[in-house]
Amino acid sequence: MEYKVALGPQHPALHEPISIRMTLDGEIIRDADLKLGYNHRGIEKLAESRTYIQNLYLTERICGICSFSHQTCYTQGVEKLMELVPARRGLYIRTLVCELERVHSHLLWLGVAGQEAGFESFFMYTWRDREVVMDILDWISGNRVHYSMNTFGGVRRDIDELQKKKILDSLGLLKSRTEYYLNLAASEPTFLGRLAGVGKLSKETAIALCAVGPTLRASGVPMDVRKDDPYAVYDEVPFEVCTADSCDVLGRAVVRVKELIQSYLIIEFLLKNLPEGPIKVKAPRKVKENEVYSRYEAPRGENVHYIKSNGSDKPERLKVRAPTLANYAATIAMLKNGFIADIPLIFAAIDPCICCAERLVQLDSARNGESRVLTFSQLRAMANQRYKNVNFKKKDIAWPF
Amino acid sequence: MNPETIVEKIHSDIKDKVQEVALTAPRRIQVKVGREHLNAVLTYLKEQFGYTHLGTISGVDLGENFEVVYHLSDGVATVNVRILTPRSDPKIPSVCSVIPGAILYERELQDMFGLVVENIPDPRPLLLADDWPAGEYPLRKDWVFDRPAEIIPGGA
Amino acid sequence: MIERLVHWSRVKSPWVLHLNTGACNACDIEILAALMPRFDLERFGIQLKGTPRHADVIICTGPITRQNRDRVVRIYEQVPDPKFVVAVGACAMSGCVYRGAYNTHSGIDQVLPVNAYIPGCPIRPDALIDGVVKLLNSLK
Repeated sequence: MEYKVALGPQHPALHEPISIRMTLDGEIIRDADLKLGYNHRGIEKLAESRTYIQNLYLTERICGICSFSHQTCYTQGVEKLMELVPARRGLYIRTLVCELERVHSHLLWLGVAGQEAGFESFFMYTWRDREVVMDILDWISGNRVHYSMNTFGGVRRDIDELQKKKILDSLGLLKSRTEYYLNLAASEPTFLGRLAGVGKLSKETAIALCAVGPTLRASGVPMDVRKDDPYAVYDEVPFEVCTADSCDVLGRAVVRVKELIQSYLIIEFLLKNLPEGPIKVKAPRKVKENEVYSRYEAPRGENVHYIKSNGSDKPERLKVRAPTLANYAATIAMLKNGFIADIPLIFAAIDPCICCAERLVQLDSARNGESRVLTFSQLRAMANQRYKNVNFKKKDIAWPF
Repeated sequence: MNPETIVEKIHSDIKDKVQEVALTAPRRIQVKVGREHLNAVLTYLKEQFGYTHLGTISGVDLGENFEVVYHLSDGVATVNVRILTPRSDPKIPSVCSVIPGAILYERELQDMFGLVVENIPDPRPLLLADDWPAGEYPLRKDWVFDRPAEIIPGGA
Repeated sequence: MIERLVHWSRVKSPWVLHLNTGACNACDIEILAALMPRFDLERFGIQLKGTPRHADVIICTGPITRQNRDRVVRIYEQVPDPKFVVAVGACAMSGCVYRGAYNTHSGIDQVLPVNAYIPGCPIRPDALIDGVVKLLNSLK
């Protein structure tokens, strides 16, 4: 007997509104379907009626966790349209904030994975360490989230010697905490048992469905925009692409922790080799006709902006493809033949950011195969009716205490 | 393999199907094809050079035509394959047989521009609300939104 | 007598439902950060519940998107009386950057009656604590 159940849009396990329609056979999910549109805000249409500088603040608010990735992807693209070479020190500071954002996003994810697996103390520990990174970002840019450091030609604010020293000290603290988490997760058998084997995605399926980010890298494919198509100063910084071979949620966790350690090394390199000079160059106001395709490696995967200009100071077309949208088809492939209890874990493993991307329940009657569509009020009335009709003998029940 | 050799090979192998091919920026190749040859060109790129990763499909409203750009990425270069389709007959072929991951991007094109994708495996709308009126395509240039006045609670 | 007890417990320990109506997530992450060891809302008795039927206060973020409007009204009706709505962030107050978009309603007060507004883009967790304490003080 198959049932179709809807999860969302408001649900304790999901932080954002999305609806998953699942066909169940007991505890096993046979088919899943994602219903989007709860978070659609019409940003691409809004971007066409605002100037390039106003769009800096609009693209930042596409997502709250990876806000700097959208802003940087847009800024890079427009700098190519303007044929502008940004200042060197500005590029280094921009890359520094990119890596700090990657650190805070991966620590956030580790906490959410712990919460979905039931490990609440891990959630609290990682978010407390995340506050260290938020304080650094607050000091550098003025805000904990939505830093707005970018401008065309470089960055808006500079960092001084005292801030550099503080960042290097905090890195030491974060490194020791991350190693503690690595040992904890690697040696805790219940945590490993909960994550291993869940949400399997084979290498061929991941490539065919165009998955991106740690979801793809945990299936053994070494695809990373920072190496394939280097932007900012990534062609000068030594780092490695992290992959894992286990194709499941545990592999994705391992990839993210390895990326954290790589990020610490990158931040140290950037701070030790920060060049002197101006932080920005002057940018023109009108942009001549051209088009650009800008790629960026956000914490969740490949972020893509396609910008077309028409000679005025407003863009002709801004197309944004967030990494979570690319992972949706792969999520459906992962949910099939899994258990209901694994849904929050599988969904959290792609690190959903449903913003940068139940009204009806359909029942198929098991007896005569007809399907009808009920609204929730009808369903509620049916449920109340059913409980009224149950007859049970009211005995004198003696409470045991 | 570097981007220049890719451009030369495309130019020599499938010259009859391709209208223009050029290297416009470091690691960016632009290819212009007619819409009837789209699947053949994408199959050629997949088999010859291994282009399996589709970044996204962008639609642009140019007035008389719609331009649809398919962005394929690799470790070497990004190939942007573009086709033009007239506004009076907005039909494009589906590429899901070559790249299965293109389904969500094609559904979005149908919603936002009103393009009809032939042989699409799953034609349901993706992003717009369930009570959205049919025939209204937000990203077309001639679609204007009349904004209702906002209520300020407690008086104006 | 029972009334005074219930009123006292409602003021001293409100249970909260977190509702995201289509926001960019920054305010939601800051609401969760307010429950973390650094700011710790739970020492004020505030607990985050998953279901609307157990909640006293609805904390809303985001400009309401068109698809989400009916669901938000239904969730508001499912919360038992007396209920309070707190609009958190510039999006919930007036739409922030999305004001005038074709798919958003530019603020929660276009759809639900709001008791408290907390400004910011995104809010600071300290501002959230301040706003909730002010709401509770106005009930006494």
